[in-house]
Amino acid sequence: MNTRPWKFQIQTLTLICLLLAFAMSVQAQARPSPQEILRELDNLGNFSGKDFSAVFTIVTQKPGQKDTVTQARIFRRDTKKQFLILVLLPEVNKGQGYLREEDNVWFYDPSSRKFSFSSVKENLQDTKAKNSDFTASSLENDYTITSMTEGTLGKYPVWILDLKAKTNEVAYERIVLYVRKDRIMLLKREDYSVNGRLMRTTAYPKYVELEGKLLPAQILIVDEINKGEKSQITMTEQSVAPIPDRVFTKAFLEQVSR
Amino acid sequence: MNPVLPRIAARNLLRQRKRTMLLAGAIAFGIMIVTLINGFAGAFIRNVSENFAYLMGGHVFVSGTEYSPSGRRISVIRDTAVIDEALASSGLRNLRVQKTSQVMATLIFEGKSIRQNLTGIDLGHSSMLRDRLMLLKGTWEDAAQPDALIISEKIAKKLNVLPGDKVIAQFQTITGQNNVGEFRIAGISVDSSFIGSIMAYVQLDYLNSLIGIRNGEYMSLGIMLDRLDRSGTAASALYVTMKSMGLQLFERKAAQDGNAMTPFQAMIREQTRERWEGTRYRVYTIDEILSQARQIVVALDTASVFILVVLFAIVMIGLSNTFRMAMFERIREIGTMRAIGVQRNEVRAMFLYEALFMALAGSVAGLLLAFLAMAGLSLITFDPQSPVFLILRNGHLSFSLPPLRALFNIALIAALTLAAVYAPANAASKLRPAEALRTVK
Repeated sequence: MNTRPWKFQIQTLTLICLLLAFAMSVQAQARPSPQEILRELDNLGNFSGKDFSAVFTIVTQKPGQKDTVTQARIFRRDTKKQFLILVLLPEVNKGQGYLREEDNVWFYDPSSRKFSFSSVKENLQDTKAKNSDFTASSLENDYTITSMTEGTLGKYPVWILDLKAKTNEVAYERIVLYVRKDRIMLLKREDYSVNGRLMRTTAYPKYVELEGKLLPAQILIVDEINKGEKSQITMTEQSVAPIPDRVFTKAFLEQVSR
Repeated sequence: MNPVLPRIAARNLLRQRKRTMLLAGAIAFGIMIVTLINGFAGAFIRNVSENFAYLMGGHVFVSGTEYSPSGRRISVIRDTAVIDEALASSGLRNLRVQKTSQVMATLIFEGKSIRQNLTGIDLGHSSMLRDRLMLLKGTWEDAAQPDALIISEKIAKKLNVLPGDKVIAQFQTITGQNNVGEFRIAGISVDSSFIGSIMAYVQLDYLNSLIGIRNGEYMSLGIMLDRLDRSGTAASALYVTMKSMGLQLFERKAAQDGNAMTPFQAMIREQTRERWEGTRYRVYTIDEILSQARQIVVALDTASVFILVVLFAIVMIGLSNTFRMAMFERIREIGTMRAIGVQRNEVRAMFLYEALFMALAGSVAGLLLAFLAMAGLSLITFDPQSPVFLILRNGHLSFSLPPLRALFNIALIAALTLAAVYAPANAASKLRPAEALRTVK
């Protein structure tokens, strides 16, 4: 009885299984867990232990209106969940500011010299950017991952993460993130309303590196409800130099606004 | 008192008609101005309250506040049965109620957008809204549809919409999440005022489903009474009833503690300082919301007294000089009267009577002129969209003069006139008869 073909078949099958197992293990190693991706994204946008400041210039386009330019200097101390946004342009709003102390956000208007209650969910001035766009990211805390698929965005292979809000108190009930595969970088984000309508698309075409962290140097926010309305944000003068404590106070806002 | 003295005083006034007319005219002018200001201030708070009650849909309001698990304050009344029971037990009669939810939204239509206060009401059955809102376009039958939206004419023009058009509304839920809703224009209403034009009306149930409030619940209950002046007692009765039912309530007395803020603001401040379990209710009136408007009335009244005094400072100088002149003109007459036995105090009284009669005549004339001016001004019809609409009554200026205020003004004028004339009157009384008779003019 000739057993050679049978033996050959077994060997071939074993080899295939081994190759498959290897391929799967390689695949498994190449596919990070979605939590890891979220953690890394949060980490990129978080400067805990350090202070962060930068100047953001926001050009907002609305159909039938002249483009408006808003410029703001932002000071952040993520360890204490503090930020101060000082409006530099337009000239008419110069000196206005937003101060966050823990979960409270105060808006200061130098013309009335009064503070009023605001929120991180509010838009910054008349732009499409929200105050929360300039704060530390907390995706892992706020959202659960419902799916992670592969895709391409332009020429980049991406992970597409579909996230659902853990509570009904985060600004968007559902968000979809397009994260570059070869290096964890957020390329695009879609924000959806409670009833599932796409409200805002944000693209991150340019990044700069600061202290080993990748920061979006240019952000394009497209309002999907108000068709044709969009804001382009450019970041300059970014720094992690220490910021004096007095900057994160109401008194500072009042003083610099004079 | 010598009864002849007032008659002589009256005769003296008539002897110098021109001079009397001029002086009384000055007094009348002052009284007229002050009466107009007082009349306007008297009606101001009533008109503002009535107009706001009309816009907000009630004289008395009940709202509820609770904390979300993360500590966010949420405005909602969940146990609607307990509020209905409190209303029934409070003994309030002749009232209409309106359950509402509200959210600030951006209405968007074909690239145009505008901020509006979306008020959710049972559009199909709200008689209060139907009574006060006149539809220019669209029908109340259309307004009964679930996605109906009623906006003012001004907003319809800005968005360029007509009945049947679909608009998108962008807003936040009660927990702060972004959401979007689609509404169909069911009616376009007449702008009742500039505040009315920022309010749009939608179905309560549909709005609730979009802002995260369960069916049947609402944010605020508006109670419209038969009379505005009953709002304080009605609110107190409801408050006591709710308290006796064991409901958690914001103290109404706490609202009166603050001096710089309105009772309503004080109540809101109390809310920000405290934490509680479950729902805590707030009972407040339209007057409490508008109590800062009362400060305007006080300011107007104070200004009117100031104007009166300033005007009279000028008039008093004129009066004093005129009576001094009159004294010299009548010096021989005074000498004769003194010679035939008229006493000093009677001479003084004669002059003071003259001044008093002039003040009273001027005051009465001033009041009559003020009433005429009020009637004339009341005939002017103002544009419903003008910002002054809130202080008007049915589109017209209205005046309400408290009688005590008018009496106070007259008394003040009389006192100031007597004070101005006292010096020449006293000088006349001190004339020696012989010297007076020898004086040649």
